[in-house]
Amino acid sequence: MPQNEAAQAQQAPPPGAPGPAGRPGGMMRGPGSGGMGRGKPVKPKNFRRTMGRLWRYFGRERKLLSLIMVFIIIDAGVTLIGPFLIGKSIDAMSANHGRVAFDLLQSFIIVLATAYITDVVLVFLQGWLMAGVSQRIVAGLRRSLFQKLQKLPVSYFDARSHGEVMSRLTNDIDNVSQTVSQSTTQLMAGGIAIIGSLVMMIVLSPILTLASLITVPILYLLTRTVTRKTSVLFKEQQVQLGMLNGHIEETISGIEVVKAFNHEHQAINEFETVNGRLFEVGLKAQIRSGFMMPLMNVINNIGFAAVALVGGILAVKSLITVGVIASFLSYSRQFVRPLNDLANIYNLLQSGVAGAERVFEVLDEREEPDDLPDAVRLDRTKGHVVFENVSFGYRPEVPILKKVSFESKPGTSTALVGPTGAGKTTIVNLLTRFYDVTGGSIQIDGVDIRHYTRDSLRRTFGIVLQDTYLFSGTIKENIKYGKPDATDEEIREAAVMANADVFIRRLPDGYETELSENGGNLSQGQRQLLAITRVILAKPSILILDEATSSIDTRTELHIQDALLQIMKDRTTFIIAHRLNTIREADNIMVIDHGEIVEQGSHDELIGRQGFYARMFESQFKNLESAGE
Amino acid sequence: MSFFNKYVKKYWKLFCVAVLFLAVESLCDLLQPTMMSKVIDVGVAQSRMDQVLHYGGLMLLITAVGAVSASTRNIISSHVSQRFGAEMRSDLFRKIQSLSFEDMDKFDRASLITRLTNDVTQVQNFVNGMMRFFVKAPLLCVGSLIMAIRLDVHLSLVLAVVVPVVAVLIVLNMKIGFPFFIRVQRALDKVNGVMREYLSGVRVVKAFNRFDYEVGKFESANTELSSRSVLSMRVMSVFGPGISLFLNFGIIAVLWIGGIRVDNGQMQVGSIIAFINYMTQMLFSLMMISNVFNMFVRAKASAGRIGEVFAEGSGLDHGGQSAAKRVTQHGRIDFEQVSFSYAGTQGDPVIRDFTLTCLPGETVGIIGSTGSGKSTLVSLIPRFYDASEGCVKVAGTDVRDMDPHALREMIAVVPQKIMLFTGTVEDNLKWGKEDASQDEMEEACRIAEAHDFIMASPEGYASRIGQGGVNFSGGQKQRLSIARALVKKPEILILDDCTSAVDVATEARIKEALRTYASELTCILIAQRITSVMDADRIVVMDRGEMVGTGTHEELMETCRVYQEIYQSQMGKEMHQHAAE
Repeated sequence: MPQNEAAQAQQAPPPGAPGPAGRPGGMMRGPGSGGMGRGKPVKPKNFRRTMGRLWRYFGRERKLLSLIMVFIIIDAGVTLIGPFLIGKSIDAMSANHGRVAFDLLQSFIIVLATAYITDVVLVFLQGWLMAGVSQRIVAGLRRSLFQKLQKLPVSYFDARSHGEVMSRLTNDIDNVSQTVSQSTTQLMAGGIAIIGSLVMMIVLSPILTLASLITVPILYLLTRTVTRKTSVLFKEQQVQLGMLNGHIEETISGIEVVKAFNHEHQAINEFETVNGRLFEVGLKAQIRSGFMMPLMNVINNIGFAAVALVGGILAVKSLITVGVIASFLSYSRQFVRPLNDLANIYNLLQSGVAGAERVFEVLDEREEPDDLPDAVRLDRTKGHVVFENVSFGYRPEVPILKKVSFESKPGTSTALVGPTGAGKTTIVNLLTRFYDVTGGSIQIDGVDIRHYTRDSLRRTFGIVLQDTYLFSGTIKENIKYGKPDATDEEIREAAVMANADVFIRRLPDGYETELSENGGNLSQGQRQLLAITRVILAKPSILILDEATSSIDTRTELHIQDALLQIMKDRTTFIIAHRLNTIREADNIMVIDHGEIVEQGSHDELIGRQGFYARMFESQFKNLESAGE
Repeated sequence: MSFFNKYVKKYWKLFCVAVLFLAVESLCDLLQPTMMSKVIDVGVAQSRMDQVLHYGGLMLLITAVGAVSASTRNIISSHVSQRFGAEMRSDLFRKIQSLSFEDMDKFDRASLITRLTNDVTQVQNFVNGMMRFFVKAPLLCVGSLIMAIRLDVHLSLVLAVVVPVVAVLIVLNMKIGFPFFIRVQRALDKVNGVMREYLSGVRVVKAFNRFDYEVGKFESANTELSSRSVLSMRVMSVFGPGISLFLNFGIIAVLWIGGIRVDNGQMQVGSIIAFINYMTQMLFSLMMISNVFNMFVRAKASAGRIGEVFAEGSGLDHGGQSAAKRVTQHGRIDFEQVSFSYAGTQGDPVIRDFTLTCLPGETVGIIGSTGSGKSTLVSLIPRFYDASEGCVKVAGTDVRDMDPHALREMIAVVPQKIMLFTGTVEDNLKWGKEDASQDEMEEACRIAEAHDFIMASPEGYASRIGQGGVNFSGGQKQRLSIARALVKKPEILILDDCTSAVDVATEARIKEALRTYASELTCILIAQRITSVMDADRIVVMDRGEMVGTGTHEELMETCRVYQEIYQSQMGKEMHQHAAE
């Protein structure tokens, strides 16, 4: 008996104890546990299918898993021998009216010791192997999720909060991890223990077995009702946790605005509301699930008493020995405990599968469409870009571009101007295939861009975006992002060209300065200089500048513009800007309004036409002119 | 961990009651094997049915008492732990809301979020666990020990050997395990970090085609996490079996020594069964204790992280004068020889010896090169940061003497970085003024040139703004951000280069409308373009943290070299060419 309890104890830490993986939230499914930040109710929609799919991830590990299974079976056998031998040993003491049969006792004890050692070795091996297996499976799942993210279109990320995607990669995979590392072995061990115990019980005494089984139906019913109720509550709890997490994430990320608007009070109120709901649900769930254990205890003890009673009667009538009662009691305990555990494991399994489902949801997301089978690489482009009747809308009912057509000849620069929201950035999104056109086509060198491999297409472009994004790492690493094999000399050159060298060298560690999350320790303008340096170094065939210099002061911009003019030479370039002086050198200026090209031509032509552009230009310079005079 | 005291003070009574019930519960558990042995020794062995019934009934009664106390304890402990968790989370949230930016900069934003969520949960779980197991396990363990000794002193010698060995194992387990847990946690942070960065920079990754690089970065973090997890799990997998091995060998010893004692007539068989039962119970409770310890170790790490936040200065302390009391001039701002460096940075201060007075009704433009300290300068006004030297006064009072809440009530900021929140357009506008009427919102939106595009979207003011927010362009979001500030009707309006993504024509209209709106306010306008600031009442030119010129556009054109350069850079060719046309 003891040895099995020991095994149970370490395989299934009591509820509330952390799982061995060292993760927060561990295997505990008590209230307030589990990862926070799940955005949606935890509820497996298709339990069996998801399980099957998860099983596929066990792939290469199946051999090892079978080995572990074998260990578990052997261990279960060994564990079952324990109480039997203890019973026999006791019989050896009592059978002979006060005389102990030491020879028998000795042999029992030797077998028992061997069994114990075997058990320890097996349990240890199980744990050792399972650690590797489960972590490899989970790492694999994490890997495929991340790789999947690489293939998802930008629209996927635009439509979701980062917190929600993050939570799938962390909380949900964590759930799966718990299920894989614990529930599987526990389930196997539990099942085997139940069957084994039942067999041994029947062998020992069918009558006593019947007596102890009285409690099973009650147990079953009870477990079912309690877990069914609590699992609903737990799910609700996860929803509240997710909402709370969302609120926290947003408030803390935007704390500057919260404080500037004295909005702390409202933020706290909102927090309290969700926190309060979480408390209510958490309390209910915990109380309800907490009743499980004492109730189990009562029922178990009723069974225990029934066995003692019936056993006593049988023993009095000399139908069985006292030793049989002793071992029988152990078995009945072994029989009941896993039943109890299985209820918990079932809960765990449910939330693990729910986690897997959320992970699979991402894996099932529609990817950026594959390159066409006959897609060619775009290696050396002349840079001849043609838009032909291009239409596009992020949402079908709100068209952003309406039948836009234009042509950029190789080596020329095209400027896109127009009011905000006119669709300038959208043109860039389409050109780089962050989004695909909904109508018409875009051609480079006479070929529809959908016929190029996406990889080679994007390699052709050098883009400086409206919002610069820097990665944590050193300044040098960030500049090298577009050309990993660049030498220090090249990096310096590019930085000098972009006029970034001066401020970089003024930093304490120069090019080796570590940037914090999104380059928080640099000013907005400095970050943009780095982004421009990055592109200059990459020497792309087609250059796209999307408000590249909007946060840079104009003096610095002048210097950069010289640099940009250098790299624009003989390169097809697209410039989006609303500072009209930055675009007036462009060969072709296209004025976009409400998704349509309303005017195009060179600066002088457009001024001469006295249209939209001329008015924009006027309004920008009117003041300055009068001031300058 | 002094922040804990508050909760201890509040909950210790209930906690003790829960522990009391837990003790009763444990006692009942303890009595069971004794009852069992009575059933066997008195009832079965002596063939007395009445005794079997008697002790059997007693056993059930004890179980029932145990169950009742367990249930009571469950209700109490659930209340205490849930309440405690909710309260601590709320306190921590309030604390973070009250932190100054200087203190907040010490933490990663992401890490603050984790502390509020995961770490609080860890501690809450531990507190709950304490009421469920912490007391029960040692009670059961010591109780079993006492009962076992009472059963037979000689057999207890076995325990004298086994118990210390197991105790040592548990301590070792904890000592060795702790560093492993911490390392796993750090590796997890790293995976999250790579992930977070990828999500924010997805466009750049795609534009530069650096998937392989990103996957590589992720892989190394992922591999590290999984290998560390494996290691920690494996280290742990040694101790469990180790503990059970020693206790099981104890059982064998008990069987053998017990056999001898039964043989000598010194002991009854029933007692051996009971003794083994007690040992099993000890094993079980020791396992529990080692698990509780592991939990403790993790909760300790979390509590430490929470404590770090609580330990930060109590937010911004202030002289306590209510703002209203000493207000002489609404909206007046004075910078008096202000210098400022960000905490923990070396090198030149970001702002050096800056003196400036802005009067109500005045619009002051600030212009200067990238990184010259413009944004930092204005962040001193709502006291996001405190000046390192000199002082900043608002309405004649040092901001450090004012209630930050009252101070910020007077100010509206449009930050350079657009930050809108999940919710509708209306929700976001109401940040400026909670009870703003539709008219007020529309008025603000008209000034910010936002009304038209808001109305153009099908849901109007009820349009939702998501995190990704494809639905509004960069310039539109900037205009919403301006409107939000305008709804507030502040005394001081700070616009930090907030029209960079707005086209020139729209910007001109916004400025025109603002002129009327801001006629009574103090308005500080940071900009890159001279056209944006040139009609300000006064323009301040900043260069490398210093004021290098101040005056009207005309004055500066005469006197300030830096300003002239900026002017040249923007006008240069255009002016001449345009003028020539």
